[in-house]
Amino acid sequence: MILNYLDITDRANNGPYISEENWDLEKIAMTTMELVSKYKLEWNPEEIVTDDPGLADTIFEAGLELARRVGAYSRSTERIIEFEPGELEEGIRRMPQTLIMGEGKDARTLYARKIMDERLPLVWAGNPGAPHPEELFLPSVMSWAQEPIVDMITCGTLVEVDGREVRTEDPIEIVSTRRELQYMRQALKRVGRPGMGMLAAQSSVSELGDLAVAHPDYLRTCDSHLVPMLNELKMDHRNIARAVNSLEYGMRNASLPCVIVGGLGGDAPGSAVVNVASFLVSNLTCISDYHLCHPIHMRHVATSTRSVLWVESIVEQAFARNAPCIIVSDIYPKSGAMTRELLYETAANAIVITVSGGHLEGCGSADGNLPNGTGLEARFMGEVGHAVARQGLDLQEANGMVLKLLEKYEHVFDQSGGNPGVRFDEAYDLVSLRPLPAWQQMYEEVKAEVRELGLVTLE
Amino acid sequence: MSELQEYLEDVMNAIIEGDADWAREACTEALEKGVDPLQILNNGLMAGADVVGQKFEIGEFFLPQLMLTGRALKAAMAVIEPRLQSIYAENEDLKGDTGVVVMATVKTDIHDIGKNIVASMLTASGFTVHDLGVDVPIKSIIAKAQEVDANIIGCSALLTTSMPFMRDLVNLLEAMGERARFKVMVGGASVTPEFAEKIGADGTAPNAVKAVQLAQQLIRNQRAEKEAGT
Repeated sequence: MILNYLDITDRANNGPYISEENWDLEKIAMTTMELVSKYKLEWNPEEIVTDDPGLADTIFEAGLELARRVGAYSRSTERIIEFEPGELEEGIRRMPQTLIMGEGKDARTLYARKIMDERLPLVWAGNPGAPHPEELFLPSVMSWAQEPIVDMITCGTLVEVDGREVRTEDPIEIVSTRRELQYMRQALKRVGRPGMGMLAAQSSVSELGDLAVAHPDYLRTCDSHLVPMLNELKMDHRNIARAVNSLEYGMRNASLPCVIVGGLGGDAPGSAVVNVASFLVSNLTCISDYHLCHPIHMRHVATSTRSVLWVESIVEQAFARNAPCIIVSDIYPKSGAMTRELLYETAANAIVITVSGGHLEGCGSADGNLPNGTGLEARFMGEVGHAVARQGLDLQEANGMVLKLLEKYEHVFDQSGGNPGVRFDEAYDLVSLRPLPAWQQMYEEVKAEVRELGLVTLE
Repeated sequence: MSELQEYLEDVMNAIIEGDADWAREACTEALEKGVDPLQILNNGLMAGADVVGQKFEIGEFFLPQLMLTGRALKAAMAVIEPRLQSIYAENEDLKGDTGVVVMATVKTDIHDIGKNIVASMLTASGFTVHDLGVDVPIKSIIAKAQEVDANIIGCSALLTTSMPFMRDLVNLLEAMGERARFKVMVGGASVTPEFAEKIGADGTAPNAVKAVQLAQQLIRNQRAEKEAGT
């Protein structure tokens, strides 16, 4: 039985040895292949939002079996973190059903959503991981923090401070992450929402930054930080340290397994199994307060591809039916600011997530690879999610709508160089912090189109 | 189908299936029956790897199949490598546009899936690949390249905050007077041709297939430079 987190570190230090190559191939890939075959798991690219409760249950069962059979892997020690019978189930029982983020009048309560839940999803705005030059960081964050529909905020990554390049494991990570939090808190004050909850500490890849901001002046205990898992079902000392650091400090842990669809789990069904297993394992290894659902496509990265949308939907449905917990789903479109496709991708992703049982986080526009995100697509993400819930959209209606949206943007995956759009400062007026007229007009036109597709309550 | 084609097809199918034992046995049998090792390499192993690469590109195969094929190729190459070396010793031109590559994900970064795919595809295309893994200090990468007399150093970083280490590698090669000896390929999700040019690397590629084409081009360039005495 796991009494405290040091039991996990003990297992990471003393579990059975296995080389990483054998873990990847023999433990993850082979076992997943076997389970996909055993449970006869398939997907249909025309049925992105599956209305098949039996399939969701089977995916959950297969994911639980994978987690039980393989456990997790410590990359730092090359040892398996094994779980005893009942421990994963205990992890499920411990998953919070509600979680207050932020403080005072700006606090919001995250909750475990249901499939086709008519309660509004919470809107967590920002583009975690997207590299930002320092001068764009504050206005970018303010552009989404000021949106009334936004409940919590997150941010990209500072890649330089005071003209100096940020490097991983360099002491400058301490400076960059503290600077990030200074900007975040400043942004909240300037938009008049100082108590809003945050997911932050994005400007440090190593644990240095995370440790440096665990302080009420920076990341409060009512905020959250990432405790990532590596692909697939792996931890390392860096990420274990993040979990350990929050034991006493008490900030929220967001597990982040970015399962690669087309990676070690194979096609979409195997990847969904790996994603379920990752959440279950992360309850123990990441001490998750909530889960971030962020499968990524092997080649296209974006969460708006068919297979990734399918995985997001089925994983959320699997948990909503079998182990209700708080899942916040990331939206990382291929396209960037000032493109219509960004808005179509955002709409498709928001529909899938909301109807399947998730909360919304995004947008990591342009694959989260460039500072090409703005507050406008975050607003649109929230508006679409709210409309889906208000309208009581069912799974089949949602699927029909998403298929129509895919027709409008799927070509971007064949474009060499993607569809990055423009930088934040080319899409927004930096003085008024409003979208430039062309971007505003594009948003209004696409919104009208989505309304015509059947989302009639989109305001 | 001739007997020769049957042997080659057996080798190719073993690679497509990603079955290391089968690949080892098929190569051993083909050699015993007198099949030219170069034919086994080009029309058996590489032909099979090409099929796997194409299926991967169109989304019919996934990473596990690619990894299994990598294992099968390694097993097969261990069988035919000694014979190939003797042939190359007599006529280096038969090597084609291949060479020795040292690959690594640079210090502070632990993302390796893209690098592993490129390594598998390079191996499948006849390159000898020394994959040093992840989080590798640049000095170790250079030391290995010197040790194995590599043609190309390939380094990868997904994290933007790890990308500066690729610049450090190029700068250190310059400082050591070794820059002209190695071609440098860089890769990773955030690496652009502009970044590669800015840090003084010899190129980057957006995917594994193009990375192989780039490596082949760099080998040709290197050969031309040697012939021109530059």
